[in-house]
Amino acid sequence: MILWWQVILLTLYAGYQILDELQIYSSLSAPVAAGFISGIIMGDVKTGLIIGGAMQLTVLGVGTFGGASKIDANSGAVLATAFAVALKMDPQQAIATIAVPVAALMVSLDVLGRFANTFFAHRIDAKVEAEDYKGIQRNFLMGMIPWSFSRMIPVGLALAFGAGVVKEIVKVLNGPLLWLGNGLTVAGAVLPAVGFAILLHYLPVKKHFAYLILGFTFTTLFTTVFGYAQLLGGSIKGFSGVINGLPMLAIALLGLAFAAISYQTGQKIGNAPKAASSNNDEGEIEDDEI
Amino acid sequence: MTKSNYKLTDKDFHQINMRSLFGFQLGWNYERMQGSGYLYHILPQLRKIYGDNTPELKSMMKTHTQFFNTSNFFNTIITGIDLALEEKQGIDAQETVAGLKAGLMGPFAAIGDSIFGSLVPTIFGALAASMAAQGNPVGIFIWIAAQIAVNVFRWVQLKFAYKEGISLVTTMQDKLNAITDAATIMGVFMVGALVATMVNVKFAIVPQIGGVSLDIQNNLDMIIPRLLPAAVVGAIYWLLGKKGMTSTRAIFIVLVVCVALSAAGVISKM
Repeated sequence: MILWWQVILLTLYAGYQILDELQIYSSLSAPVAAGFISGIIMGDVKTGLIIGGAMQLTVLGVGTFGGASKIDANSGAVLATAFAVALKMDPQQAIATIAVPVAALMVSLDVLGRFANTFFAHRIDAKVEAEDYKGIQRNFLMGMIPWSFSRMIPVGLALAFGAGVVKEIVKVLNGPLLWLGNGLTVAGAVLPAVGFAILLHYLPVKKHFAYLILGFTFTTLFTTVFGYAQLLGGSIKGFSGVINGLPMLAIALLGLAFAAISYQTGQKIGNAPKAASSNNDEGEIEDDEI
Repeated sequence: MTKSNYKLTDKDFHQINMRSLFGFQLGWNYERMQGSGYLYHILPQLRKIYGDNTPELKSMMKTHTQFFNTSNFFNTIITGIDLALEEKQGIDAQETVAGLKAGLMGPFAAIGDSIFGSLVPTIFGALAASMAAQGNPVGIFIWIAAQIAVNVFRWVQLKFAYKEGISLVTTMQDKLNAITDAATIMGVFMVGALVATMVNVKFAIVPQIGGVSLDIQNNLDMIIPRLLPAAVVGAIYWLLGKKGMTSTRAIFIVLVVCVALSAAGVISKM
């Protein structure tokens, strides 16, 4: 079960993360960090990291463009981690059964929060008229309330009262509806693909498709080799070395090198006497969420 | 008075930056978005420039609560240019400032959203998430370090923009374009890498054809490993291009299709 202090800490985090995302963007407001922090609070960091990581990938391309509401993967990750740890759910299943529906439902509360803030904007107008400078600042800072409460209230309520319902769902998914439970686990594993596809719509893939192929091919080959090496290393008796999985940082460095090469060649062309036509064909990011 | 004698000091820049970093979007609302935030973050400086209870201050406060929305990673560039003007010309700059804000917010929103709202989270989020999938939180700390660097950049740009003025916009444009282009390459590369590692699905079905069982997954692996994940991403990419498709809808379609195919025994988790 989820203890009372865990409910309080998770609720406080739910309120903090949206303010962080709006302001300093420390990345503690990212879904992967939401899973990590919830994991620490719940006492099972690994489950939190798995859920947070999967939610991070699912919303990878979903940025906030021009103030559009986006699927609230953070609250989803918090609730999924809490229930997965408390009720010993399979993390993958928790992603599809809890994190995704919660994240989608929370969109309407984000809209509500943004809407509620209009009230304070009008109060500020009145204070400007009255030349009440302190009042302007006070009413501006009160905008914090709709923002954080729109997360804290649903997350807190779900944590405090949701356990019974979730417990029933888990029981059914692993009993009479096992096919559904298994299916949701598979879905949890496939969901990051949505994040990648959304992202590809925002990135200029047509211009840089070669790098997409490079990234995929390098990684698919290495990950297979590393995967089997790990398997072999683990099964050979007397083998003392430790073989880890494919380090993603190494792959990211390859990508960084390609980016650096492109940047350097770009600068050279830019310095050439014939000022290259700098027409902006970057216009892939045209409007709000797809 | 119309002309102000006040000169902004480092203390003022510090105060604006603090308010920008920790308070710029708290008042975000559908009607005027960051309008009240813009007023809030320069209010003390406006009061110093125009003096309390003057008609000029009231009039400028009204100008600054108007609709405003830009990237909160670049907003103080606009602030810097704006305040340099107001400091020199006072209330005479009112129309120029209103035009400047309206003119610059769009371009900076586009650049900021693509670099800081999309590419940085993609590259570092991908790294953090794939490390997290192996139970390793180090990627999160790498991301935090990167965001601290970004916040330093957000901090220094105000004074820089204040000194350079409007000419800054044109000189920045080319450099930002080159950086964005390089960053998109890394973004695209990382997506390719993620498709190969993070979509964990395979064919489970082994159909019997003329008494011979056909291991589909094994045959695909001989072509190239992880072909099914690549095909899945391609299919969702195509789906998202359809009219009326939203990312949330796509997520639920994937949910339903996965459950159906899994129940039929066609696919399973890798």
